[in-house]
Amino acid sequence: MQLTGMLHGAKLLSHVEFPVSEVLGPAASEGEIRDLIDRHGLIFIKPQFKGGVGKKGQAGLIGKARDLKTALAEKERLYFAEHRHGNVVAKANGVSFEGAVPAEHEVYFSITDDTHFRAPTMTLTHRGGVEIEELSKSEIATVPFEALTGLKAFVVANALSDIGAPKEIISPLVQHLPKLWELVHHYGITTLELNPIRMRPGRGGRLTPVACDFKCGFDRDDPRVGRLGLSNHLFAADISEFEQEVNQLRTYQGQSDVFVINDKGTILAPTFGGGANSLVTEVLGDAAIISSDFGGNPPYDKMKQVMAICYRHFLAQSNVLFIIGGKANNTDIHETFRAMADALRDYFSAHGPTPLYVVVGRGGPNLVRGFGALAEACDSLGVPYRFFGFDSAISEIVNYAQRVDAWMKAGGREQIAAALGIKPAA
Amino acid sequence: MYRQGIEGLPYYLGVRSLADIATRDDRVVVLNILGGESSHVTPISHAFSGGNIVFGTSPGRGGQVLETPGGDIPVYNNVREGLDAGHSFNAGVVYLPPTAVRDGVAELVRVNPGLKKIVIITEKVAVHDAREIRALGQANGVDIFGGNCLGVADSWNRVRIGGALGGDHPEESLQQGSVAIFSNSGGFTTTIAQYLATGGWGTTTLISSGKDVYIHYAARDFAYGLANDPRSKAAVLYVEPGGYYEQELAFDKPVVACVVGRWKTKLTRAVGHAGALAGSGDRAEDKERWFMEAFGTEGLFTPEAADPSRLVSPKGAVVTNISHIPAALTAVMALHGAAPDFAPRGSLALKPWMANDQRLDLPAELALAPVQAMAPYDQQIGALGRQIGAQVARQNMKDRSGASLMDSRTQVTSVHGITVLDLARVPLEANFALPLVHEIGSENDRAMLDIAVAAEVNLVGDATLVAAEAAREAGNTPNTVMAAAASIVGSNRVGRALACARALIDLFAFSGLTDPRDEDFDVAAIAVDEATRALFAARPDEADDPRPEAMTQAVRDRNCRSAFVRFLERLDQRPSRDALLAAIAMTIAWEPLMRKKISRLTAETLPWYLRLYGVMVGASIPAHNHQPGSLCGIPRAERFGTWTMADLCYLAITGKKPTAAQARPLQMLIGLLISNGPGAISAQGAKGAVSADGPQTPGRVQINKAMVGFLTHTGYSHGGNGYEGMAFLLDEFKDTDLRDPTDADHGLDLKARAHVFAERYAVAKTQAKEMGREVRALPGVHHPVFRGDAVNYDPRERFIAQALAEDGAYNIFHAYYLELVQALYDVGASPYVFCVNVDAVIAALLLGLLWTDYKTGALSERDLESAAFTVFLYGRMVGAAAEIDDHLNRGRNMDTRTPADRCGYVV
Repeated sequence: MQLTGMLHGAKLLSHVEFPVSEVLGPAASEGEIRDLIDRHGLIFIKPQFKGGVGKKGQAGLIGKARDLKTALAEKERLYFAEHRHGNVVAKANGVSFEGAVPAEHEVYFSITDDTHFRAPTMTLTHRGGVEIEELSKSEIATVPFEALTGLKAFVVANALSDIGAPKEIISPLVQHLPKLWELVHHYGITTLELNPIRMRPGRGGRLTPVACDFKCGFDRDDPRVGRLGLSNHLFAADISEFEQEVNQLRTYQGQSDVFVINDKGTILAPTFGGGANSLVTEVLGDAAIISSDFGGNPPYDKMKQVMAICYRHFLAQSNVLFIIGGKANNTDIHETFRAMADALRDYFSAHGPTPLYVVVGRGGPNLVRGFGALAEACDSLGVPYRFFGFDSAISEIVNYAQRVDAWMKAGGREQIAAALGIKPAA
Repeated sequence: MYRQGIEGLPYYLGVRSLADIATRDDRVVVLNILGGESSHVTPISHAFSGGNIVFGTSPGRGGQVLETPGGDIPVYNNVREGLDAGHSFNAGVVYLPPTAVRDGVAELVRVNPGLKKIVIITEKVAVHDAREIRALGQANGVDIFGGNCLGVADSWNRVRIGGALGGDHPEESLQQGSVAIFSNSGGFTTTIAQYLATGGWGTTTLISSGKDVYIHYAARDFAYGLANDPRSKAAVLYVEPGGYYEQELAFDKPVVACVVGRWKTKLTRAVGHAGALAGSGDRAEDKERWFMEAFGTEGLFTPEAADPSRLVSPKGAVVTNISHIPAALTAVMALHGAAPDFAPRGSLALKPWMANDQRLDLPAELALAPVQAMAPYDQQIGALGRQIGAQVARQNMKDRSGASLMDSRTQVTSVHGITVLDLARVPLEANFALPLVHEIGSENDRAMLDIAVAAEVNLVGDATLVAAEAAREAGNTPNTVMAAAASIVGSNRVGRALACARALIDLFAFSGLTDPRDEDFDVAAIAVDEATRALFAARPDEADDPRPEAMTQAVRDRNCRSAFVRFLERLDQRPSRDALLAAIAMTIAWEPLMRKKISRLTAETLPWYLRLYGVMVGASIPAHNHQPGSLCGIPRAERFGTWTMADLCYLAITGKKPTAAQARPLQMLIGLLISNGPGAISAQGAKGAVSADGPQTPGRVQINKAMVGFLTHTGYSHGGNGYEGMAFLLDEFKDTDLRDPTDADHGLDLKARAHVFAERYAVAKTQAKEMGREVRALPGVHHPVFRGDAVNYDPRERFIAQALAEDGAYNIFHAYYLELVQALYDVGASPYVFCVNVDAVIAALLLGLLWTDYKTGALSERDLESAAFTVFLYGRMVGAAAEIDDHLNRGRNMDTRTPADRCGYVV
């Protein structure tokens, strides 16, 4: 859950009264754009991407305009711009118009929880406006601070002194930057980055820090995010329809974390436990449709609902239903397996049989009763299966599931289809 | 701000040695002790750890206790009350919901100055709260473990605090040894301990660290404790990407690091482990490198590596697969001259505990034979194995079926997953077995079914025949005639056959018999007591019944194989007809029963259905054709030894044995008619009859009465209307000299005939419209679903047409229908080319069969109507059996009733 850009950033920063550059959204009228140009002389036109998209400037995706005609031309160029960053391709939908802020000084500022220190940590440099990695360490202050008291003015002042910041920027930054901690800590933000903050001269030469770009990440486990009233669609790019359905069942006990790895995959692997999730997804590679962690002892109803969603989206394309976890400490295997079995029966009832091989690797409370419930469903549905206990190596079971997948692809699927009385599609 | 714990560290850490993390001296308080997870886990922890929990809290439930095998644990409203009651403790365990965790930690820290450690089990604690929790612990000198973890345990001290390390049986996994475990995954903490035992390594302290952004007791802290724990000779770290906790760590003891999660660079959102989301420098690859640099190794260790020496150093090894941990540790420790703690326990090889190949031909590498599981699981699996047949959950089955399903798009119904179109192409005896075995039986099974029904179909001298004939003479339709006979076949008439079936299941269920055709199976090994032996024997009053011998002879004549029949023959007594019926039923049902495809109840009741099939088909044959030793003049031995179901059905309708060319269309017809899904009136009648008897007490459900229910729910409109199509065709062809409707060289100009009819029909239609009358619908033409295209087809009709074409068969009536729909369009009587629907095919096939007898006068029009109805009943008999069996197995008492609020009142 990330937000980038000033269009949304300006609103968030207004919660703590941090000065921002003037910004108009994609619906701005020509008159409004002209007025913006009149006020600032220069404006920037930036494409709007959902989620976090980096290095737009280097990709030539930031337009500049000093007149309306150029501004409109840039709007047209960037409105649906595509941006490839690493292996992520993002498509813009709209632009923002941002008034340029004249300044001599550009500042980089961020707050994040740094695992080096296990504390909230401020990163600050007066050499902002560039990639932070390009600067020498002596120019950057990285300062952990006390979570209970928060980011205090003296922490900022000390840091600026340490890196030899120009004295005219110290006082305004000491005055304004601590506000950003309030934004981070009280609204469920895990990372906040403002780069650049431009130091705008005012009357008498006094500088005001003005945020000119914005990036933040939210903690989806923190209900404080709700205080901002942000619309879900802002984060929709992150989430497939399937994930959205499952997420509606998400509770604090976990039990329903999913991520679509490959929507063309052939192994549907409901996985139990974060470790199993890491291992299994790693070994399965692209064959895995989803990466999931349904551990945490989900109750029957929830497990059944989650599996019904998984089956509805992916069972038809799956060669292997691969139910895998270590030796559960707490999860009741009977409850979870009974739920998965019943959801499987329901799927076959509603959609007819589908060629499938079930591979299970599991241990934990009520293990054999759980195996029994699932075996019964498979027996009566005509679905072949092999269940392994916790005394078989998980990675070996994963390899077995892969061998089954390969066999299915090499004619096994047709064999099972024939046994289930499924006709090949005309 | 932090309180100084261990000197020299730039933050607070109180635990010096891993040996101090979970000790028998620790006294523990559990917050939210009565919550769902805690109330399951805490009793096991308490008992395993020698009763280390002094009290728990649960606001508003003070005064209760949590019962455990180690004694009751008192519950207070809050920590202060517990302290006031005189308890003292040094460790807190937090099972609170995530939004309450921070406040719980604050309560523990502030209320109890003696607090030394906290274990946070809860997952999905907000980073905001985790920050403050860390600060609280640091400022107050408290070691915190977790959150999102499964706690800590010590195999030497036999203690676990918080969480559920080792699950329900901690003693299985927590085996004393020399290796400490630190794991980002709670589940893998136990699993790694389990795996280490297969390499002969036991454990000291096990720490489930959690993998949130904040790991309160992190790898660095673990390294410190490891150095100071003389029991721990080595350690295993299980590590995932995200965070810099493992960077530049110094261990002074050998370590195997397992780093998993290269794929996580693809993630944009954490799954399960909130902190396992890598940035630019803390990916799995980075962490592998950190450890390799620390150990001085050159790559990832795998047991199969060609040159493992470069992958292992005295300092350690890096693996990316937890199952490689034992081998890596053994290799590292060998460099120190250290042997494992004990002889390897178990192995990690693939060991399927349960499997079902569903008769597929799997390659050897997949068809791994199940092995006996370790105790006590072997006994539990054994107990599962003693359960015979499928178990089906009961539910409300009103308008629902687990047997049949009509696809509303194609209008094609499936029974047990097989479409009626496909059923139309398999022999009838397979169809008659389908409802009860849920699959298409083998050749052997089909022949056995033929014998069973043949043995029941001649009703001479029996009350069923008297009842049927009386009903026929009274002017009833064929369904009512059948119902009269079926009513007689009550539970007393099948009691012994069903008892024999039950006895055979009991005798053979654990005999190892999987395929009843297995001639090598030693039936002599089946021990049978006198009472059971007597059950199978013919009574003295059955001495004149020739059928037992005829049935066993037929089994031989047809080269059928049956362990059950062999078993009866070996008993050295004259078996009863009931016993043989049961033996045949078990031969048919055995494989699906053993595969748990069908329930024991289904298998046990199969003889009842077989007897009903025979009686119902027999009842459709007029009484004078039933003679001692012969039916319609066909001698018993011939019928038992060679006749098929199609032969019997054809005989019942025409009084003659069919040729193969005649049997085939009849088989198709009956197959097509088997079911129209649970909504069909006939199915509703059967289901209602079962529901009314109460399927939850299956022994009281009268299967014959359920068949009567189906029969009473057929009639002139539902079943009898099949004649309409025939009547239409008769009208069109009775003035011709057509002799053989299956001969394509018939010499009639069908196109012209169709055109003439269409013209007439168009005129009649126009006139009717002008008069404001309804137009007579043409039977067999048009369908509300298959309409609207320029040319329309009923896919069922197409399927049969194709099947006929493949057989090289021809049917003039079908051909006429195809011409007719085109002609109707050509003359403007239809807006597009209507489809020829499946009813037309049924009428065409049936009339094709009966035409010659009709023309010779052997059959009247009334007989044709009766024949059409009877064929419908034969098909639906199969479908009804499927619904009855399904409802009997799945339904609830009176579940087909409609609640009053959904009923209407009409004036």
